[in-house]
Amino acid sequence: MADEGESIPTSEEKRTEKREEKKTEKIERPRPTHLLQWMEMTVSEPEKRTVASMKMQDTFIVYLVETRVTDPSMRGYGEGATSVWRRYSEFELLRNYLDATFPAVVVPPLPEKKASYTWQNASTDKFDPDFVERRRAALEIFLLRVAAHPKLCQDKIFAGFLKEENGWKESVYATDFQSKAESRLKALNAAFRLKKPDRRFEELKNYSNELQNNIANILKIRTHLCDKLYGIHKVHANYARVFHEWSLIEKDISQPLQSAGHYMDVYASSVDAALEEEEQYADQLKEYYAFGDSLRSVCRRYECAQYDLERGEDTLSTKAVQRDLLRAIINGTELPASAQGKSGNAFSLSGMKTKLFGGDTPEQRDVKLKQLEEQIAQTEIELRQTTDETQVFVEAALRDIDRFKRQKVKDLREIFTNYAVMQIKQCKKGIAIWTSAKDCFSKM
Amino acid sequence: MADAEGRGCDSTDQVNSSSGNSDDVVKFKDPLLTGLDRDSDDDGMESLDLDGSSKSEVTVSRSSSLIANFRLDEDVDAETRDLFIKVDDPEKHTSTLEAYITFRVTTKTTRAEFESSDFSVRRRYNDFLWLRQRLEETYHTHLVPPLPEKHSLKRLDRFSQEFLRVRQKALQKFLTRLADHPVLSFDKNVQVFLTAKAWEFQAHKKQGKGYISQVTDSIHNMGASYMMKNRPAEFGLMHEYINIFGEKLAVMDRIATRVLREQADYHAELCEWGPCYVLWGNSEDDLKAALLSMAKAIDQCCHCLKDLIDDTDDNLAQPLKEYILYTECIKAVLRRRDAIQMEYDMVVDELNKRKDEKENVKISDQTYSIGAFLGKDPEDVKHQKEEKLDQMIVDLTRQMEVLNDRTVVANANLKADMERWHKTKQRDVKEILMALADRQIRYYEKCLLVWEDAIRAIQKKDNDPSALASIDQPPADDTNTAAGNSSGTDNTSSGVESDNANNTATVS
Repeated sequence: MADEGESIPTSEEKRTEKREEKKTEKIERPRPTHLLQWMEMTVSEPEKRTVASMKMQDTFIVYLVETRVTDPSMRGYGEGATSVWRRYSEFELLRNYLDATFPAVVVPPLPEKKASYTWQNASTDKFDPDFVERRRAALEIFLLRVAAHPKLCQDKIFAGFLKEENGWKESVYATDFQSKAESRLKALNAAFRLKKPDRRFEELKNYSNELQNNIANILKIRTHLCDKLYGIHKVHANYARVFHEWSLIEKDISQPLQSAGHYMDVYASSVDAALEEEEQYADQLKEYYAFGDSLRSVCRRYECAQYDLERGEDTLSTKAVQRDLLRAIINGTELPASAQGKSGNAFSLSGMKTKLFGGDTPEQRDVKLKQLEEQIAQTEIELRQTTDETQVFVEAALRDIDRFKRQKVKDLREIFTNYAVMQIKQCKKGIAIWTSAKDCFSKM
Repeated sequence: MADAEGRGCDSTDQVNSSSGNSDDVVKFKDPLLTGLDRDSDDDGMESLDLDGSSKSEVTVSRSSSLIANFRLDEDVDAETRDLFIKVDDPEKHTSTLEAYITFRVTTKTTRAEFESSDFSVRRRYNDFLWLRQRLEETYHTHLVPPLPEKHSLKRLDRFSQEFLRVRQKALQKFLTRLADHPVLSFDKNVQVFLTAKAWEFQAHKKQGKGYISQVTDSIHNMGASYMMKNRPAEFGLMHEYINIFGEKLAVMDRIATRVLREQADYHAELCEWGPCYVLWGNSEDDLKAALLSMAKAIDQCCHCLKDLIDDTDDNLAQPLKEYILYTECIKAVLRRRDAIQMEYDMVVDELNKRKDEKENVKISDQTYSIGAFLGKDPEDVKHQKEEKLDQMIVDLTRQMEVLNDRTVVANANLKADMERWHKTKQRDVKEILMALADRQIRYYEKCLLVWEDAIRAIQKKDNDPSALASIDQPPADDTNTAAGNSSGTDNTSSGVESDNANNTATVS
């Protein structure tokens, strides 16, 4: 599977991709692997809107979603440029739709609805400009990830999200995507009752739990670190004050003290910008925390599929046993081995016999046998179909999981590097400020 | 009879410059008052009693001390310093009664008073206390440097490494300051302290009078300070300065303590953060190396911070505390000076009262006095009274001269010491603050290197050299690093991106 991040696919790879896609998806027209290769996308300009309905006033933020085609040769396929206003709940709707419609895909997560892991001065108000800005950035990343995914980017609802402001919501509901979602009860059953679960999905579930635990620990401690760092810097403002007061009773050292005091103030106030910038790191980790949920969704769907499969197999084998039993009774032969307690179900042969065949006439028995054989044939067909579907699902899911893993490694390397870059920036600032202060002191 | 109005000095006083005569509105002429805008040298010289007749041992040391006082501070340099003292090597001693610590005190000197040029003795804290007390008693208008407190406030174990290190530094400071003092360093007790063997030293300690206890001394002095009316302006300024300076020092001490506490808390959290990354690395394969690099960087920053915290305690908290103690010493000396002046003022008042009385008696009519009533001749009564008053005036005048000398000397000592102290203070404060800035700079420089290394380690992929090239691709390549990009209005992100490119571009 081509790693869609590394480079523009060669024409050879493009052809292979198209062939693959022809097999599993219906494609409208030939294109490169994903949207971002020929389209630019941005989320910007958050604005506050108020909508008044009968009893209440609803105030919310909308974001401007714009696209522009960058590859001139693709001009014919897409619109030149689009722009729509979307609010967070519409992003949510889009994601829920994608989640239900593409069960084998690790669907990118949205930024959190409410602020979590906030340190003492970070705002939790959803209208706070910093919060809104961070959400905007995260929403943009969400859209970019969807657009970069070879399957998700082709979806019509997604295309509608980008182009049609009005009527889009209705079109989403019209797809009736909610019915495709697995019922919770089934998922719960599936989680516990699989006889032959695929080890890879078990491992993936464990991995996603661990990932979330680890990220949660990091985020929690980071919150404490922010609080403490804030405290350290703010206390230095007191130095500024005392230097100033002290300078009033001195003669020779008065001027240097006052200048140095100014730098203490600068040091104290530098922490605000630094911590705001560091929130970006937390947001990026939070995205991967949320990805853990996406991973678990895929596992859950696998379990449901496998559960259906196993239930189908059970039904088939039960019916097969009944048929064999019936045949034996009709023909007066020995009970076949298949009826003798195999397949794990505890048959009570005598009980079964009486249940099925007690009081039946030979003609009724024949009819029953025929029914059974028809059912079995039917079930076999269904089972084959389910098996095929499950297999397709598993292959697709594992492929997408692999894609996710590679993306994750790249992303997190980048995230950690960015964090280090931020630290370096703060160190440089600290050096600059204290060097200036030292310069003042040297003039004493 | 000495004319108290103009001179204020003994008739044998020969050095009497013109400033002593002029402009005295005040009843009594205090040379130091007129000398405010003149060189301190001249003031001191005025009241020098060069005539040997009434010299006592005290006077000798007084005059030498006065001369010594006005040697410029620049003299006390590394080059001209002739007395070097070092304090080190704490050792624990256990006797039947107690356990205690001694420090080795090593002296190198070229001074003639010392029998040789090198000495090494062992002294314990109580010995230092004794020395300081002696010096305070003898030179109670000089500024004797402070000693660290007997008991430490936070650490309870007086045998711990930490405590001993701090105390050693403080004792070192004490002796260095002492060695630099042009008067105190020549005291016999100092010499004995630096040179005498153990048993000699014990014997010497036992001599000498027990003196006014510190407590009653200071209560008496505080009363004097409070009631002081004629305090010369410059001492008033000193009082004010020291009070405010002491306040500001205390505030700085509090701030420094608070910063240290917050840094310690931050450090504790940071120590827990690194292991989180290691734990995460346990469930990753390709990402493990990057996670371990992060953990390593964080742990290294932890160490840098610990160094910063430890250094700060030594080089900021302790020096501030020493200066706070110093300020208290100065306040005590100022109070003592006030008390001395007060005594003098009281005698002057008394003297003037008696003189007025005498004038009144001269012109009075004793006809109706008690003496006349008892049958004496009113004229005789008058003469008797006059004689009595004359005697009192003579006595008081002599007392006044002695006290005047004492006051003048006290003022001169204090003034000289204060000037010297101001210069030392300026130097010390500059050093303390520069060290503070330096420490922060070094801390940030170390952390910077740590994170640069981390970036190199994180970006390194053993089997994939093209990966480095891919990082340098322009940010427009969204597919590569979706996490790092947020195009549009997010300036910091793109700034970070280009910083990143710059940083990795320097990776070989």
